[in-house]
Amino acid sequence: MLRGPLTKALPCARILSPVKTLSTSAINNEKFEVFIDDKKVMVDPGTTVLQAAAMVGVEIPRFCYHERLSVAGNCRMCLVEVEKSAKPVAACAMPVMKGWRVKTNSEMTRRAREGVMEFLLVNHPLDCPICDQGGECDLQDQSMAFGSDRSRFTDIDHSGKRAVEDKDIGPLVKTIMTRCIHCTRCIRFASEVAGVDDLGTTGRGSDMQVGTYVEKLFLSELSGNVIDLCPVGALTSKPYSFTARPWETRKTESVDVLDAVGSNIIVSTRTGEVLRILPRLNEDINEEWLADKGRFAYDGLKRQRLLTPFVRNCQGQLIATEWEDALIAVAQKLQTSEIAGVVGSLADAESMVALKDLLNRLGSEDLYTEYPFPLEGSGTDLRSSYLLNNKIARVEDADLVLLIGTNPRFEAPLFNARLRKGYLTNELDVGYIGPKVDLRYDYEHLGESTDLIKQLASGSHAFSKKLACAKKPLIVVGADLLSRPDGAAILALVQQLAAKVTTDANVSSEWKVLNVLQKAASQVAALDLGYKPGTASIRDKKPKVLFLLGSDEGTISRGDVGQDCFIIYQGHHGDHGASIADAILPGAAYTEKQGTYVNTEGRAQQTLTAVSPPGLAREDWKIIRALSEIIGEKLPYDTLLEIRDRLGQVAPHLIRYGELEEANYAEQATELAKGVSSNLSSEPVDVKQKNLEDYYMTDPVSRASGTMAKCIQAVHKQKQSKYYEEAVN
Amino acid sequence: MAKLIGLDKLANYFRVIKHNGGILGSIKTLLRTDDLKFGTLVGVDKLGNKYFENNLYFYGRNRWVVYHEKFGLNYDGSLVPSEWYGWLHYKTDYLPHEDPGRPKHKWMIQDWSENLSGSDKQYVPYGTTRTKVEGWTPPK
Amino acid sequence: MSSMIGSKLCRASVQLMRCQPLSKSACCLSSIKSVDVAGPLDLKEITGKERKELQEYITVDQPMDISLVSGVPEEHIKTRLVRIATTPKNPMQSGTHNANNWFIQFDTRERWENPLMGWSSTGDPLSNMSVTFSNKEDAIQHCEKNGWKYFVEEPKWKTPKVKSYAFNFSWNKRTRTSTK
Repeated sequence: MLRGPLTKALPCARILSPVKTLSTSAINNEKFEVFIDDKKVMVDPGTTVLQAAAMVGVEIPRFCYHERLSVAGNCRMCLVEVEKSAKPVAACAMPVMKGWRVKTNSEMTRRAREGVMEFLLVNHPLDCPICDQGGECDLQDQSMAFGSDRSRFTDIDHSGKRAVEDKDIGPLVKTIMTRCIHCTRCIRFASEVAGVDDLGTTGRGSDMQVGTYVEKLFLSELSGNVIDLCPVGALTSKPYSFTARPWETRKTESVDVLDAVGSNIIVSTRTGEVLRILPRLNEDINEEWLADKGRFAYDGLKRQRLLTPFVRNCQGQLIATEWEDALIAVAQKLQTSEIAGVVGSLADAESMVALKDLLNRLGSEDLYTEYPFPLEGSGTDLRSSYLLNNKIARVEDADLVLLIGTNPRFEAPLFNARLRKGYLTNELDVGYIGPKVDLRYDYEHLGESTDLIKQLASGSHAFSKKLACAKKPLIVVGADLLSRPDGAAILALVQQLAAKVTTDANVSSEWKVLNVLQKAASQVAALDLGYKPGTASIRDKKPKVLFLLGSDEGTISRGDVGQDCFIIYQGHHGDHGASIADAILPGAAYTEKQGTYVNTEGRAQQTLTAVSPPGLAREDWKIIRALSEIIGEKLPYDTLLEIRDRLGQVAPHLIRYGELEEANYAEQATELAKGVSSNLSSEPVDVKQKNLEDYYMTDPVSRASGTMAKCIQAVHKQKQSKYYEEAVN
Repeated sequence: MAKLIGLDKLANYFRVIKHNGGILGSIKTLLRTDDLKFGTLVGVDKLGNKYFENNLYFYGRNRWVVYHEKFGLNYDGSLVPSEWYGWLHYKTDYLPHEDPGRPKHKWMIQDWSENLSGSDKQYVPYGTTRTKVEGWTPPK
Repeated sequence: MSSMIGSKLCRASVQLMRCQPLSKSACCLSSIKSVDVAGPLDLKEITGKERKELQEYITVDQPMDISLVSGVPEEHIKTRLVRIATTPKNPMQSGTHNANNWFIQFDTRERWENPLMGWSSTGDPLSNMSVTFSNKEDAIQHCEKNGWKYFVEEPKWKTPKVKSYAFNFSWNKRTRTSTK
């Protein structure tokens, strides 16, 4: 079927997605049977031998093949015998034909693997004992399983082994290029997933080298993934180098909270220290990838930590105290109803519900999040207004995406990777309203004016036609744009636009056109729990006591509340919040507590405790629970399960972990938004994170991280380079 | 015959009383050492501690030391000088002054120094592990 | 004679108890313990009638609770939360052979560091226990039997999409590769 697509030659082939090309193919679209090691398996046409074998649980060894990258077929490790074929075939690239009998363990297959392995090892150094990949190396394992049991390598003077100069490709990825087996996975990742065509090969045969052609750093927000992809130890993690062996570490499966995507991670720890963070496979969210901030900012968890409670003494100096003194000092100040609470971007749902219950019991309703969101119209009452309704995974099915006031590349790198995947494999087109930024794929830049949204909603803009013609259109709005003073008008316009596109393009009710991309991991859970967005009303109210739960973005300062206000900060890093506080209660970071987070698509997930909180720091909801007892307003939960029951009472979806709770009232939200005044300010649409250096430090953990600081330095260094060119679209 | 009716026990009882200097002396020794024994004084060390031996008692209890009265109840094993240590712990059966081949090292004639355990001058080993988490210090 | 039969019954019941969980490939600590006491038994010794009696003897309808006799301290039964999940695929490697079995994992308790040597200690005897199961139901049954509270995490796997070597060279698609 690969040979005969007449459709390819026709002009209409351009609009057909690859999947559709397969299904409309004239030859065959029905399943047929093939035999893998005499086991029958029914496969779709176009399935490769390797995929067919995987269906019956036969794993064919491979180096260059990766499920999420294009087929390269250059390592030859997956050679298998096919009956009546004179030569072995490369299983990763060869589509199966009807009735094929594949032998994955025959004499010919085994000899082929042995030969390939011998060739790979001829030029591979024997430095496994000092290699960071040791213990989790594909080459190590496969040479044990499929390699020859004796060596024909007789060069005792070691004059013949290939040696390649190491490249400096940045502060995150360490290269030992002699170990490279030229699988080109990193090259394909860079050009396909990350969209950075920096890596490539030069030379042929034993002179072949993987590199960046010119002296250049490999700077991408997804660069860490090439460490995982590398099947040998050629690309390893620089911050983790020579730290630990994989069998020494304890692995905890957790969730990343440094952006709102909620990537699944594995936290490797040893002796109470986080040693590295790896991605965990979750097809619905991050696939197999992890953004660099989530992967490398963990050293920020070991710096600038709050280890003891602090209370300001009469000289105005913060003094380290014991828990008892700090809690009593705070409790004395909390005997008032003029309290306001502000939650920061890394707060978990447990501590947020505990803080809300406590302040409500004290007679205060002033609970806010740091990031504003328009309250006019339906406000935050209907979840569809603030969620990425159409799921992260379904973005790659879209055929037209309109991005308004967001830079997904830095606000949610893995969401941007999905967009790029759709762009590559599904012919997805992107329209963009906002300042010119480099998204690593081509987009149609509509402009920066907010007036464009109005034009699109009324259908007078040229892009409206495209939106109307699209089969699966999406509109993604940045949360930052909605935090502007005229955010309510923008949201109302976008809701109108989404409603118009839904009817014009006649999309199914399953497909949600309107999507909001959040930036903070705590925001969705906070809004679900009934926190009010934005801190503006605190400035008007001037409360006597201000309780900051990990709020470090500097949206509220000492000047906003006055010198008389007693500011309590509870969190894990000495950052903006701690510097203005009168009392500091040390809490736990996300690797140190079992907490609930809801990502931007509304999926509740939980982090697990990897290490104990350092020093006197404690889990956040337990601090609030202890405080409530001293105040005399004891909160009715003592264990994690009990506080989760309480979470379930407030919002049942918060404890359905891993499940996506969809929001279905988009139409009603649009109706309610009709009363909102449509006065747009003339200020152009802007995004905060425009360049790569803006990506690395956005929260207390990454601001304390030395690795992230080195990344920013590297970006600045790159700009000095004579090979640097300003990204243009 | 005397053994049969336990007269030797009675005789030993009087010997113990006599050895410890009468009834009052016996009560005092009992208070200090929780034990009453009689035996031959085989030597006195430079601190004034007296060493006794009586093979009537079972091995392990037949050699003992009574510390000098100036130590009161505040005595411990470190008061035994090195030359008496071996005899007291059955490393040798020779008394210090009888032993012909005994080595004489400098540290053996060192003066006794007080055991500082439990006081604020006690020895505390210092850790060599690096601090894994750096704390935040409030700005002055 | 009757006592002989009695002991035989006892041994046989133990043997069958051992067979039962093993047939489901579950690892049951307590039953293995009791086998050590009884020793092996040749099933051929038992006649058809006795075998029938035995089967009647060991049928248990109500849920089994072994928390009273398992020897686990009460504190570690009532306060522990067990996570039942599948082993994730190692992101550093392509093999998936170890990535499908179910395991139970207890909530992490405090660990502390020895200030002199830097060794890590824990007061939690269950933190180093690793028990794997071939399916979710066995893991759930094991937790219920031991009286532990638990939650289950389902794996997020999907079948890969169809892809082709030819996509690298298609002249009208964006999948055409530019770099090599």
